[in-house]
Order: sequence, then C-alpha cells, then structure tokens
Amino acid sequence: MNRIDPDFKEKLKPFGVGNWAECFHCGNCTATCPLTDESHLFPRKGIRWLQMGLKKKISRNLDPWMCYYCGDCSETCPRDANPGELMMTLRRYLISVYDWTGISRLFYKNKIWELGFIVIFALLIVSAFFIFLPPDPAIISNPGAFINAQGGVMINSLSTGLGNEQFLRIIETGDLIMAITVGLLLISNIFNMWYKVILSDPDTRVPLFTYVKEFWRLIIHFAVQPKLSKCDDKKYWLGHFLLMSGYTIMFILIVGLLPKFQVENIYPWYHWQRILGYYATFGILLFLVNVFIRRIRKNDIKLQFSHGSDWLFIILLFLTTVTGILIHILRLNGNPLATYYIYVAHLAILVPMIMVEVPFSKWSHLAYRPFAIYFSALKKATAEKAMKTSLATAI
Amino acid sequence: MRRTLTTGVYFSHTANNHSQSLDYKELCGYLQIVPEITKIWNSSENPPTDPEHFAEEIRKNNIERILIAGYRPGFIKPFFAKALQKAEKAAENIILADIFNGIPNGMPLNEWAKAKLICALSGIPFDISLLSEHNPAQSETLIIGGGIAGIQAALEIANSHHKVYLVEKTGTIGGHMAMFDKTFPTLDCAACILTPKMVEVSQHPYIELMSYSEVKSISGMPGNYRVEILKKARRVNVKTCTGCGTCAEKCPTSVKSEFDQGTSLRKAIYMPFPQAVPNKYLIDADSCRYVQTGKCGVCVKVCPVENCIDLDEKDQVVEVNAGNVIVATGFKPFEASRMEQYGYGKYPNVITSLEMERLVNAAGPTGGNIVLRSQDKKGNWIFDADSPQPKSLALIHCIGSRDENYNKYCSRVCCMYSLKLAHLIGEKIPEAEVFEYYIDMRAYGKGYEEFYKRIEEEGVHIIRGKTAKIDEKNNRLLLRTEDIENDRMLEQSVDMVVLAVGLEPGSDTDKISSMLGISRSDDGWFEESDALSNTNQTLSGGILLAGTCQGPKDIPDSVVQASAAASSVIQSIMQKGVPKSLASIPLEDIKQKAMELSAVNKD
Repeated sequence: MNRIDPDFKEKLKPFGVGNWAECFHCGNCTATCPLTDESHLFPRKGIRWLQMGLKKKISRNLDPWMCYYCGDCSETCPRDANPGELMMTLRRYLISVYDWTGISRLFYKNKIWELGFIVIFALLIVSAFFIFLPPDPAIISNPGAFINAQGGVMINSLSTGLGNEQFLRIIETGDLIMAITVGLLLISNIFNMWYKVILSDPDTRVPLFTYVKEFWRLIIHFAVQPKLSKCDDKKYWLGHFLLMSGYTIMFILIVGLLPKFQVENIYPWYHWQRILGYYATFGILLFLVNVFIRRIRKNDIKLQFSHGSDWLFIILLFLTTVTGILIHILRLNGNPLATYYIYVAHLAILVPMIMVEVPFSKWSHLAYRPFAIYFSALKKATAEKAMKTSLATAI
Repeated sequence: MRRTLTTGVYFSHTANNHSQSLDYKELCGYLQIVPEITKIWNSSENPPTDPEHFAEEIRKNNIERILIAGYRPGFIKPFFAKALQKAEKAAENIILADIFNGIPNGMPLNEWAKAKLICALSGIPFDISLLSEHNPAQSETLIIGGGIAGIQAALEIANSHHKVYLVEKTGTIGGHMAMFDKTFPTLDCAACILTPKMVEVSQHPYIELMSYSEVKSISGMPGNYRVEILKKARRVNVKTCTGCGTCAEKCPTSVKSEFDQGTSLRKAIYMPFPQAVPNKYLIDADSCRYVQTGKCGVCVKVCPVENCIDLDEKDQVVEVNAGNVIVATGFKPFEASRMEQYGYGKYPNVITSLEMERLVNAAGPTGGNIVLRSQDKKGNWIFDADSPQPKSLALIHCIGSRDENYNKYCSRVCCMYSLKLAHLIGEKIPEAEVFEYYIDMRAYGKGYEEFYKRIEEEGVHIIRGKTAKIDEKNNRLLLRTEDIENDRMLEQSVDMVVLAVGLEPGSDTDKISSMLGISRSDDGWFEESDALSNTNQTLSGGILLAGTCQGPKDIPDSVVQASAAASSVIQSIMQKGVPKSLASIPLEDIKQKAMELSAVNKD
C-alpha cells in the first residue's frame, strides 16, 4: 500500500530545485522525451507521485535512472515546471535512499558535513604521510640522488628510511583498502536497491535464468551508455564517454596496476603506460572544462541548476587531475621535493573524493544507472512471462 | 447607520513589470490620517506564509476588516480569509486595491495609489467615483474595426439614429467571423448570421463605412475627438464598380489570398470574398504590376465601365469629428511556425485551424472538400479539390496558449472550435478517424458541455495529453503523445494535423494603444477600466472596447460586449456628456468624491 506523505515535497528540497507544483499534467514532457517507452513513462508520472506525496512509490521506482537529462522536457514545458531537473533531483534522492548508512542523506542535506568529511580525510592522509612516510632530508642536500638515468624523479624513493619497493607496497595496500571499502559500500547499496526494487515487489519473482539472460545489459550500459547517445546531443555522449573511459582506465591503473604505473623509470612517450595516462587525462580534462564553462554560463538548460554536490564533484576531480599533471611535469623536470609535496596533495584530494563520491554521491550513478536498466529488464521479462503463462492457462 | 470597521492594511510587494516603483513608506505615512486603520503591514515577505501569526495580530489590534493593496491583490485574498477565520472574525471583510491597474502614462504612481486606497477604504468602486465628471459630447461615433464586434456596435448605435463612422483596414468588413464555416455550439452557418448584418451596415443611412482605411491620428478631448482617417487608394471606384469580375479574370498577377489564409490564390485586382461588403473590387498595390513597374493596365482595358479603374489614384486623408470611439480591432491568430516541434511550414499537411475553416467552407478554395495538400506542376504546395482526402486527422489544442514560452493565457475559443471542426470533418469525410489531443477541455458556456459530449459520442477520439512533437514518416505524420488517462505512450500516424492556434493581440495594437492613450495589460490586450464591473470602458474618456481586442472571447461574448459598448455610447449621447479621461481629473477630486459617496452610503 502507498501511504501519502504530505511533507514529501519539503523533504525533497535539499536535493534540488523545481517548480513542480506548477505542473498541470499536459504530458508534453513524457511525449517529448526520446527515452520514454511503455514501461517507463516519465517525467510526468513522477511529478504526479511527488505532488501526491507517494514517497514509497518514488523510492522504489526506476524511472529517474532511465533519464539521461537532455533537457528537452524542461525547454518545452508549458508551465516552466522543469521536469528534467526533477528527474535529477530524484536521482539524488534515490542515491540517498539506496545508501543504508544514511551518510549520503547527511551529505546532500548539509554541505558542511560533506566538506568537513573531505577536509578531515585529507588532513588524515597528509598527517599519515608526514608521520609515517616523511620526505627524505637528503632531497634538499643532494637532490641528484633521487634522479634516475632518464633525468626524472624516482617517485617511490622520496620517503625516508624506506626502499622503493616497500614504499610502493604501502601505497598499494592503502589503495586496496580504499577500493575494498568503497566497493563494499557500493555493493551493499546496490543490494539495498535490489531489495527495494525487485525483492520487496510481491508481483515480481524473477527466475535465476532471467538474471543470467539479461546480464549483458548491465555490461553494455555500464560500458558505452547507448541510452545517452539516444539523447539528442551526440557530442555530449562523446564527452561523457571520454570522461568515463578515462576515469575507468585511471582507476584500474592506480588500483590494480599500481606497480606497473607508478614506476621509478621514465618511459618514452609512446609506452603504453604513458599513452593510457595521457588519454585518461585528456578525456577527463576535456569534459571537465566543458562542464565548468557551461555550468557557469548557464546557457544549457540541463546545467542551469547546479546543486552543491555537482560543483564539489567537478572541483575535486579537477584538482585531482591538475595535481596529477603537476606530478608528471615535476618528475620530468627532475624536481624531487616539489614532486613529493604535490604527490601528497594529489592523494589527499583523490582519496576523499573517491570515498565520498563513489558510494555516497554523484558518482554512484556509474553503478545505479546500469543496474536500474538491468533491474528494469528483469521486471519486464518476468511480467511478460507471467502474461504468457496466464494467457496459456486461460486458453 | 453603518459602523466604520477597524481596518488593517496589508501592502503586497509583488514583483510586477511596472516601470515606476511604489514608495510604500510614504503611503504608510499618508494612511495615518485615516482613523479606522489600526495596523499597517508593510513587509516584503510575499506571499505571506503564516496565517497563525496574522490571526494573532488581528486579534491584538482588534481588526475587523483587511485591505490588501498592491499588484493583483486578489491572489492572496484566500490567505487573509483564513487568517480572519482563525482570529474568529468575519472572513468576508476583505477589500482589495489593485494599485497598478490602469494607471495613465505620466501619472505619479504614489498619488494614483492614494486615490485607489481612499476609494477602496470608502467602499466605492474606483470608476464610480469618476462617473459624474463629464465633457459635452458630440453625437458621432467612430468605430475602429469592422469585425463582428464593430458591426454589432455600429448597428446598435445607428439604429438609435446616431451617426457612425466604421473604419475597416481591409477591403471588406466581416473580420474573422466571415472566414468561419459554422459557429459552435449550434452549428449555425456563420455567413448566414453575419452577411445580413454586413449588408445592413453598407445600406444603413446612419453608418458611413470606410473600408480599406486606417485611423491615422486622433486629437481633441473626450466628447470631441478630431480623427484623421487615411483612405488607402482602392484604385477602383466603389460607386461605379458593378463587381462583374472581368478585370480579375484578365489580371496577370496571382498572390496568396489573405481571406483564405493562403490556401488559395487571388489576383492583384480582387474582391476579398464573394459576399464582401462593399461588394466591389480593389487593387492590392503591393502585387499590382502597373503600380510596381508602370507597365500593364490590362484591367483598365477590359473594364466595361468607363473610368471605373484609376490606377494612379492616391491615398487620401479625411477628417471627421467623433464624441466617442469604440475600439474593435480584434485579434490575430498565433503564428504556428514559432513552435518548431509541430513542423508547421515544414510539413505540408500540418495546417492551422483557420486554414481548416477555409477548407471545410463550401465557399472555400476546394468547395468544402477537405483534401490533402498536393504539389502543382511548378512544385508549389496547393489545395486541389481533386486531391485525395485525408483518412485520419488529428487536432492539437492549446497551440501557443497556456504556455509560459508563448502566451500564458487561455485563448478560450480553441477547445470549442476544435470540437466543432472535428464534427465538420466527420460530416464531410464520415469514414475518417479524428483524434483530439487536449490538456483540459474548457467547454464553459451555455450548451458547450453538451456539445462536447455530443462530439465524443460521435466517435471522435478525444485524448487527454498534449502532443509534444510531429515527425514525418512514410509520407504520414507521426504524433507522439502521452495518453494520460490510459497510462500509455501513443505514437499515432495521421494524414493531416490541425493546430488549434490561440489568439494574440492584433498587429496594430501597439499603434492604437499609443494613439488613443489606452493602456494594455501584461499579455498585450487593451485594458478595461474594471475587469469585473466595467469591461467595455477604458480610463480614457469616450474610448470604449468591444470584442477580442480586450481579450480572447467567442462570438456571443464579442457581440454582448459590442452591444454594451454601444449602450455606453448611446447613454453618453443622450446625457450629452462623455466621461473625462482619468489623466485629466485631479486625484484630489477623486478622493473627495469617494469620501462624499461613502458618507452618503453610511447615512
């Protein structure tokens, strides 16, 4: 049963903006959307549920994830009700619903919490470095000792009293701990989503076979976002793809392949390690600069209403990328002390960013979107099967 | 004797697009002189949110009545009704003062506001306190616009034996109504109602019809206006032309017919439509070969009447005197190509409702045969009576109306005329499937809801949901709509789409507004002196409004308003007095008058 929560509109306010009370239900948004289909009629229905305060219905609904926000609905809305932004807001809300720890809700509701978390985490990393892995005093007296045969800084030898292999192992262990924590949180959140969307729905009993049969969707939609390319702006898809693939490559490089990525040698520019690094940096930076400009100019309807979490995400990613580039330049220039400090700063931004963004904030959509499409396909397949069975028995 | 109620005044600081801003502090100071006011709220919190807090203050100051002053104060009236109720006072004791409404150009806003506040506090409608100020009136009346409203007003005044100048800018009177096939909800033939009236106008001894003319300037004062009228050169003598049509047969130039909304062609020398009044030909200088190049003159050669066509005729200016002016300039249909998602102008079979009116009309370009547009030998898209008929049609409501991106208001007539067109299509092509896509069905008038039900029963598919876009696919039009009541997406292929375009203020509205000194409301229509109790007068003395120039309305309402305007005119002629323009009355006098009237009331 759906209970009405009259204050739901108020509760949704911290997650975004919108004039949804304006909606007079003409259906223009649903009909203009290139992604609506029989099983997902949005955004109008979502606005209806919101106006009625059907909180439970909204929190178990997958429609917001089907929207890739091209902004057509908001542009042509006869009431300026901004349905596109509502979908964005509901996605933020759903992220907080799936997150069983409640941290996500805290972050969305109050910027201080989020910022505080990031600052404290960054300070922890900085102090850990200065206590356990301080810079070698010899860097100042004899910088030449930290330069390799190619004239670059040997990045793993900068800490005092540690061999380079030992240093790398410590960093690698730290990386793994971060990845496992984030992974566990995210997986448990997806489990929560699965519970809310599939398990607690009495009408949907998905057979195991269907899970296997539809699994390809998860992979495809994670890897190349075919739905986003159906949204009218193909350039946006390309930009997003560059960002996403660049980010994924970087993540694999620093978590799984760190011993091969963070090496003492400076490889020639055409070495795969450098090519991949350059590709990722280019992809991320291109998208970021583009989004920065558009969010500031506000001439694109989908980037007009930036939530605090949107800004935080691009600022953190930008700082991470810039410090990463700086490390690279400083290493090539043979400047060991600056390399050390920037390296610490890089990690002090990177680690809290991943800890906050991936399980609790904007980035979790990398998992929720493909899973939503997967779950939706499961529901659809089950419903179709049930329909066939009931037809067969009827005959 | 009525007791004075203790009053609280609330200033509503609503944002509005008025150029002057109000000095609220000064107004608060001014209201100190009124003894019954015990509390003034002058807060920028708008709209107010906490009725409990106001109820508390109402109780504390023992307020029995509340005056809400500001821009459109009625919007927050329910809030104060609630607050009064909570304070256990009579909730109906709320008065409104719309300070920004109808202010004449150049009037200081604060002074204007004071007059309005005093009138409101005295319980005297603002325009009533103006009434007794009169200028002596001339008995002639000028009517601008010869549509149904102008015709109706002209006949009413002329039938009471007063002179009327009816100025019409096109070559015929009749306006938009002449283009319609049938009228809703009775499905009467529009021409059968209109044409006798048109003929009556042309033959009436008290009406001087000036077609193909425009008001050039207006001067003088209420009761005695001097009007300069530009009589554009018709180049055909109205007195001698017999309307035989030989000239048009031979004329070498064809252009799109305005009367047929471009669905047919007319010659450079033409009669707008067969029942035109005056039933005479005229020459369109913009397309006439002789006027443009100096070489042609075929019409002069073939004309059987001597000296009837004078290709070198020049525009003339005539001057008339008028005591009252009725503005009946009408509307223009919304330009459908502005909404690119519907492909008007891109897909040949997406047409507007007015084009459809011409297609269904037996006197229209196809003789009443609804056909698909086809290409002629030169590749132009035309309506050919022999082309195939559409087998499925869709009508989309609210094109350009009720839309924040275009016009916010409801155009009032589109729902009903769409239903009417759906019926007429069914009459002409019984096997056609007709779909109507609407947001809300506004069948608000006498017999209208019944008409809606009737059309629904006739088998028209009436679907709640606004079509969002039209694409062309396999030579058919594909409409995407959310079928809200059945909870599904609809992708409907049809042969022809009719866009129910809304009404917009006519293109001359701006010019006429500044010429006559009458204000326009936010959405561009001429502003009446009181939206409820005086919808045909303006705050400029002797200038009245009739028909759609004041706001979208249907034929019955236009006729009613025209008659009302005519009655105001006749009244002023009988009383030999025209109200002064508001701008010329000292505000002190208005306040004085309001207080006098209210004193009479109390006794």
